[in-house]
Amino acid sequence: MIEVEHLSKTYGATPAIADITFSVEKGEILGFLGPNGAGKTTTMRILTGYLPATSGTARVAGFDVHENSLAVRQRIGYLPETPPLYTEMTVEGFLYFVARIKGVAAGDRADRVQTAITRCNLIEKRHTLIRKLSKGFRQRVGLAQAIVHDPPVIILDEPTVGLDPRQIIDVRNLIKSLAGDHTIILSTHILPEVSMTCSRVAIINKGRVVATNTPDQLMEELTGGNGYELEVEGDFAAVQERLQNLAGVKSVEAMLSDTAKPNAADQLPEHHFKIRLVSQPGADAGRAIAATVVGAGLGLFEMRRTAVTLEDVFLELTMEDASADPDTADADPPEPTDTQQIPEPATGGEAA
Amino acid sequence: MRIILSNILAIYRRELQTYFASPFAYAIAAIFWLLSGFFFVIILLGPDGLLVQIGQRDQAGITEPPIDVPYQFLSIFLNLLGSLALFLLPMLSMGLYSEERKRGTLELLATSPVTNWAVAVGKLLGVLTFFITIMLPIVGLEAIAFSASNPPASFNVLLLGHLGLILMAAAVLSLGMFISSLTDSTILAAILTFALMMLLWITDLIASGIGGSLGEAIGHLSLIKHYSDLSRGVFNSSSIVLFASYVFLGLFLTAQSVEAFRFQRS
Repeated sequence: MIEVEHLSKTYGATPAIADITFSVEKGEILGFLGPNGAGKTTTMRILTGYLPATSGTARVAGFDVHENSLAVRQRIGYLPETPPLYTEMTVEGFLYFVARIKGVAAGDRADRVQTAITRCNLIEKRHTLIRKLSKGFRQRVGLAQAIVHDPPVIILDEPTVGLDPRQIIDVRNLIKSLAGDHTIILSTHILPEVSMTCSRVAIINKGRVVATNTPDQLMEELTGGNGYELEVEGDFAAVQERLQNLAGVKSVEAMLSDTAKPNAADQLPEHHFKIRLVSQPGADAGRAIAATVVGAGLGLFEMRRTAVTLEDVFLELTMEDASADPDTADADPPEPTDTQQIPEPATGGEAA
Repeated sequence: MRIILSNILAIYRRELQTYFASPFAYAIAAIFWLLSGFFFVIILLGPDGLLVQIGQRDQAGITEPPIDVPYQFLSIFLNLLGSLALFLLPMLSMGLYSEERKRGTLELLATSPVTNWAVAVGKLLGVLTFFITIMLPIVGLEAIAFSASNPPASFNVLLLGHLGLILMAAAVLSLGMFISSLTDSTILAAILTFALMMLLWITDLIASGIGGSLGEAIGHLSLIKHYSDLSRGVFNSSSIVLFASYVFLGLFLTAQSVEAFRFQRS
């Protein structure tokens, strides 16, 4: 439904996005995840035909966004970061106006406006002036505006920003209910939002897509999925190397020791250490780890599995100095010459 | 074509709605009515007004040449309305695009299947309609005065004079719209528009200062020359062409500037 190839955009000499490639299948929800200023809004603006790209192509529903701008605009619903609202109009009047300029046939307008109002829970505010609405309601009017012409593609720039928790849940449910018939791209910097609503994630940093995959696979493939946290008593240094050499263990590090006293809550008993082990993808070295620790005569006080969160992935991918650690090198933003997707398996998923 | 018309209509209606819902527009209209009503009375009935002058002339026994009072009055009053409109029009056109830019609604228009031209035409028609609405009560005043005049006023002169006012307003509003599309500050748009109007207004003076064929060429661009022709009931197709060209120029520049704005904005 959406195909973006080698898209770049520079403002003067500053590149906003560089060589972005991704595609979205019909009915998918793609989450754009990235820190502020990463190029999310720029990419969306190019897709909606608001900005031209410096190079590369983007196609929506088969139409090039630059060559066939009007055809693309007809098929896109777009909610910018600040909802574009005429505050002197009523909610209903505004939606009728949008339906008109989006080319909804006169006979269908009443139906479409009604549907949009119902879907966005605006029924009791339909005759209120937009000027008098709270931020949350304005955001919903913005959403209603994006879906009023029932476009096949919906692009939402931070749709839940500024809403209270209850409204956020409503909006997420609304977005999920739109998937299937509609293809959706949404941007956010709220991590749980992506795992809750999106079927796929594109992590974008400094104008580059550094990873695309499903939220689960991202977590699994990028940092090897899971690991263990241990609390042991005894000489940890003696056993560290043996743990490190176990099959399936990617890295071992001491998080806390009895000598480091960061604060009272984290205080460990004497000779106790907290260790974190990161597993290699697809391997589970739990049994061997326990055997090694106990076999070396150390006391094993706690051992639990830890799942890597999307937050870890995000931080690892967008951290500036991630390359300092060779173990995380494959999560680094790629060089300009080779393309976006890290790790390799993600590329395959994307071409589908 | 039907889609374009329907888009223009949608933009037009929304634009009109904005004016009629805006206290600012009413305030401007009220001041305009107050001033034009005041001058209407002064010109016609004031101590140095037309009626008094004619009365004095009659008393002095001068009857030749006969004076066409409605005609005299109309050309004086329309000239005055033209000068007043010079202040009014930049205030009407200043928000046309700058407000949209400021509120982010330009992004909605630019990502809708509407061409820049359709938006510009719809907006211009909207603001022109509002201007004509402001003029209606004043035309009412004239109608009352002329109904009492003997000989009756020439209908053609009346029509031509007001057509001239509307054409001049369309030209000014169109250029003002272009200026409004250049900035997101409404005040700056108003000031720049006003400055440009002044320049076009006094082109006559500049032209006669330069002299020669260049001066003559510049003189043809003058708004005031063509407007006062029309307001005196002199129909000249070149006036119509000039005003229409200004309108087209404004629309063209607006469409281009919105396009350029999208290309360069960061």
